[in-house]
Amino acid sequence: MLLVGAGVLFFLSPLVLGRYMVFILNLFAVYALVSIGLNLVMGYTGQISAGHAGFLAIGAYFTAIVGTKMGWMPALLILPLAGLFTGLIGFLLGIPILRLKGFYIAMATLAFGVVVGEIILQWSGLTHGDDGFHVPRAALAGFVFNSDKRLFYLVQPITLGMVLVARNIVRRRVGRAFIAIRQSEIASQTMGIHLAKYKTSAFAVSAFYTGIAGGLFAFVITHISPDSFNLGVSIDFIAMIVIGGMGSILGSIIGAVILTGLQQLLTGLPEVQMLIFGVALILFMIFMPRGISGMLFDLREKLGKSGNGEGKGKEVNGTFPDGMKRG
Amino acid sequence: MSANIKIVLIILSIALITLSGGGPARAEVGVTDKSILTGCSNSFSGPLAFTGMELVKYGIEIYFNEINERGGVNGRKLIHKSYDDGYDPTKAVANTKRLVEEDKVFSILSPQGTSPIFATVDYLEQQKVPLIFPFQGSPLSGKLIFTTFTTYPRETEIVVHWFVKTKGWKKIGMIYQDDKYGLTYRETAVETLKGMGMELAAQESVKRGAIDMSAQMAKLGQADLDVLMVILVPGPGAMAIKESKKLGWTKTKLVSAGPLTDEKFIILSGGEGEGVWGFSLWPDPVHSKKPAMVEYRKNLEKYAPGHVPNRYSLFGYFYGRLFAEGVKRAGKDLTRDQLIKALEGIKNWENGIISPVTFSPTDHEAQKDGFMVEVRENVFKPISGWISLEGGKLAERPLGE
Repeated sequence: MLLVGAGVLFFLSPLVLGRYMVFILNLFAVYALVSIGLNLVMGYTGQISAGHAGFLAIGAYFTAIVGTKMGWMPALLILPLAGLFTGLIGFLLGIPILRLKGFYIAMATLAFGVVVGEIILQWSGLTHGDDGFHVPRAALAGFVFNSDKRLFYLVQPITLGMVLVARNIVRRRVGRAFIAIRQSEIASQTMGIHLAKYKTSAFAVSAFYTGIAGGLFAFVITHISPDSFNLGVSIDFIAMIVIGGMGSILGSIIGAVILTGLQQLLTGLPEVQMLIFGVALILFMIFMPRGISGMLFDLREKLGKSGNGEGKGKEVNGTFPDGMKRG
Repeated sequence: MSANIKIVLIILSIALITLSGGGPARAEVGVTDKSILTGCSNSFSGPLAFTGMELVKYGIEIYFNEINERGGVNGRKLIHKSYDDGYDPTKAVANTKRLVEEDKVFSILSPQGTSPIFATVDYLEQQKVPLIFPFQGSPLSGKLIFTTFTTYPRETEIVVHWFVKTKGWKKIGMIYQDDKYGLTYRETAVETLKGMGMELAAQESVKRGAIDMSAQMAKLGQADLDVLMVILVPGPGAMAIKESKKLGWTKTKLVSAGPLTDEKFIILSGGEGEGVWGFSLWPDPVHSKKPAMVEYRKNLEKYAPGHVPNRYSLFGYFYGRLFAEGVKRAGKDLTRDQLIKALEGIKNWENGIISPVTFSPTDHEAQKDGFMVEVRENVFKPISGWISLEGGKLAERPLGE
């Protein structure tokens, strides 16, 4: 009941909140989707990706370009197409990565992120290169999402739906296969898990999530350029799941909210922001290696409560028999 | 259950009460009887942090401090609020929304960087917030936008004309950074030369962030150029100079672009910059004897003792002053419309630093000229007056140094 109340309150919040706050809530949602996408491939399946800004860029540019060239297309059609297109790229990227292990995957994905930025820069006939791309407004059956408050009702329901889907994915056969691969590739293979199939699909699903996030990002920011998708952005995404908790959907959301919120808070203190940010990250790594969601889970264990959201507990439980030590 | 609903209702009503009851109606956003609030998103971290820090903290804020101490403008103190975006357009959008909607600024004053600024332009236009004196050189125009230094295309036209008409050079080459900054120069140079029945004799590009120019410089060396336009940033620019010395170039003159003609570029070239030319937008911030320049250094010393003067703090200081001039002319009943009208009314504003500034309803560019300099004993010495293009013809007026 409390959850429903909070949900209702959340969806009514644009009525009372300022536009800037609503914009930040939309940004939270976009980054939560990226963070979930990254967590699926990194936290669950154990494949490090340092190039998710590349997927975000593909989703954003796909949305901007298709939205411009095919103005009749409703937002609710463009977004899944952006997700599918990005997912396909993720799948294709997943194939060569099958041959790589550990840090070499990080290197390959890092290169991917850089290459995407470079392609956007050079293919200026399509992307307008460094000039940046003006994103057309999202529209749906004649309704134009031309303000942050209106966008809220596009961004948040999609995010909520995709969070629920992600929770389903990780609890089912696919999710368990992902976790098994992270624990031990050899053991999971002997259990009959098709490694190639699940690894590439982890990349594809992850890219799908990030692609849709990219589309929403384009609508929320309204002007995209290669500078929006630099290496630092990819690193921020990793920081999100480290802070929130690897291998946890709730953790992904918490991490996205905390990191984005922290950045917004610290933006007025340029002299100390890097310091606070760096120290916070180190403290998280030392004292909360499993992120905030891991800590919440421990707390619940200690209190000996089952709590109301038993699903959350189970999810964290299932994915964290021994933290990330073997990941 | 009913308790939950009650809680929800209470929270909702509290939120409504606190947020719906704004203050008393004001004449204009960001303006009170005592103060005027401006703001910007800028780079205080990332690749352009130095520029951002200098132009905001040691430029605009120093000038505002100084004028506030003298009682402000029309009795109002000028306050500048800034947030860091680290050259990330996404953060620039967030910061700008925060300035407009939370802090309620009167205008945006001097944000930095083409990508971050362009990402916010549509939004500012929609909200009818003036964008005054952004620090960037790509052409940008709008009813509520006033730009600053000579744009890159305009600079290229001036410099190419000067090479051909004044120096009589024919073989012009270019080494440029492979992004919007460099490509803007290249495209304009090609166009301008085409108009004179000429073409770029040689051109080589450099990837952003690369520091090895040896291959490019070796190729350019074979073209037997009169002049090589160097459209890079300080690090790679200094490398290009060193490379030219290593290859033993004697005939070809190296000329740096406006954004590169900066003291840092000389320092980085480690004494090898001697004899290099450049297009300068500002008088020498450290050595210029102009009274207005002496005053700038005096104020910098007063509010930031020991801080070294440079072109970026000078930018902030100068455009802070020009903004204050606009605000003064707009009078006591300050509104955004009044500010725009007042700025458009500025004609031949003598400022003692750059050429007199003139705006009109159709012309919102503060500067349209520059002058050529040569590096002598690690200082930029002028070798021309202020040069500009008027009706396609080169015009030159004295520097007044």
